[in-house]
Amino acid sequence: MFRHLRTLQQVSRRTLSSSARAQLENKVPHKQKLFQEDNGMPVHLKGGTTDALLYRATMALTLWQYCIIYIHANKAILN
Amino acid sequence: MAHQAHAYHMVDPSPWPLTGAIAALLMTSGLAIWFHFHSTTLMTLGLILLLLTMYQWWRDIIREGTFQGHHTPPVQKGLRYGMILFITSEVFFFLGFFWAFYHSSLAPTPELGGCWPPTGITPLDPFEVPLLNTAVLLASGVTVTWAHHSIMEGERKQAIQSLALTILLGLYFTALQAMEYYEAPFTIADGVYGSTFFVATGFHGLHVIIGSTFLAVCLLRQIQYHFTSEHHFGFEAAAWYWHFVDVVWLFLYVSIYWWGS
Repeated sequence: MFRHLRTLQQVSRRTLSSSARAQLENKVPHKQKLFQEDNGMPVHLKGGTTDALLYRATMALTLWQYCIIYIHANKAILN
Repeated sequence: MAHQAHAYHMVDPSPWPLTGAIAALLMTSGLAIWFHFHSTTLMTLGLILLLLTMYQWWRDIIREGTFQGHHTPPVQKGLRYGMILFITSEVFFFLGFFWAFYHSSLAPTPELGGCWPPTGITPLDPFEVPLLNTAVLLASGVTVTWAHHSIMEGERKQAIQSLALTILLGLYFTALQAMEYYEAPFTIADGVYGSTFFVATGFHGLHVIIGSTFLAVCLLRQIQYHFTSEHHFGFEAAAWYWHFVDVVWLFLYVSIYWWGS
């Protein structure tokens, strides 16, 4: 009976550790390869599509709000 | 790729200083709009832009350091100087509020009753929750040092546990302080006592939240194998900031809570 329990213990430990390892796998070498690729992309866009989307959203918000403030400031100064 | 003949970091052109500057403009003008026209839209948009800027700027620094190897020893030295100078500027920021406190409390005016605490103010008992808060922050100073040694010795699991514990202690402090604020028998509007108390402890609380967030980012990075036993400056910067927050609290506790009661 104890041999069965020990086998169960070993199997569950192996299964848990392999799935845990898959989640917490060291992705740094992969990232190092991605960000050191000689493709001329600046670091803020080098990660891929998500970078470009986030950059565009941020810049759109920046420029839109800057225009709004510019218009309001002009109105305030002229009134 | 062109290879550089020096160890310094020539940064790629970046849009984040511009977006950060516009965010600051939006937040400050938004604050004025809120005060005069009761609308928080502009300020909220400024805050969103600030958060987007901070996330992407610091994400890029992690890419440059951890993934591209740009943080050579001379570059790291510069980063260390930068963090030390920043913390020094924060020390001066708090010095101003301590100056205000001592200015009013060392020579209390007749309007206050000629005494400190002023007439009518029931100060908080320094040996109740404030003392617990002191113990919590001192303990968190120990756990963050434990985390540092764990990282230096390559003890991954211990580093994660001690860093998580440090963050939990920081959150516990924040929760206790929030409860104290709610239960306090005086408010910020209660003369110079209320002003000095809530502005000094309030800015300190904000710094605890910032420090806890910095440590939380370090925890995520530690889990993702970013730190090595020789190179983990992001963590060191967070630990320095955390110790600074702890020391400010000790001064607050001794001056405002204890001597001032």
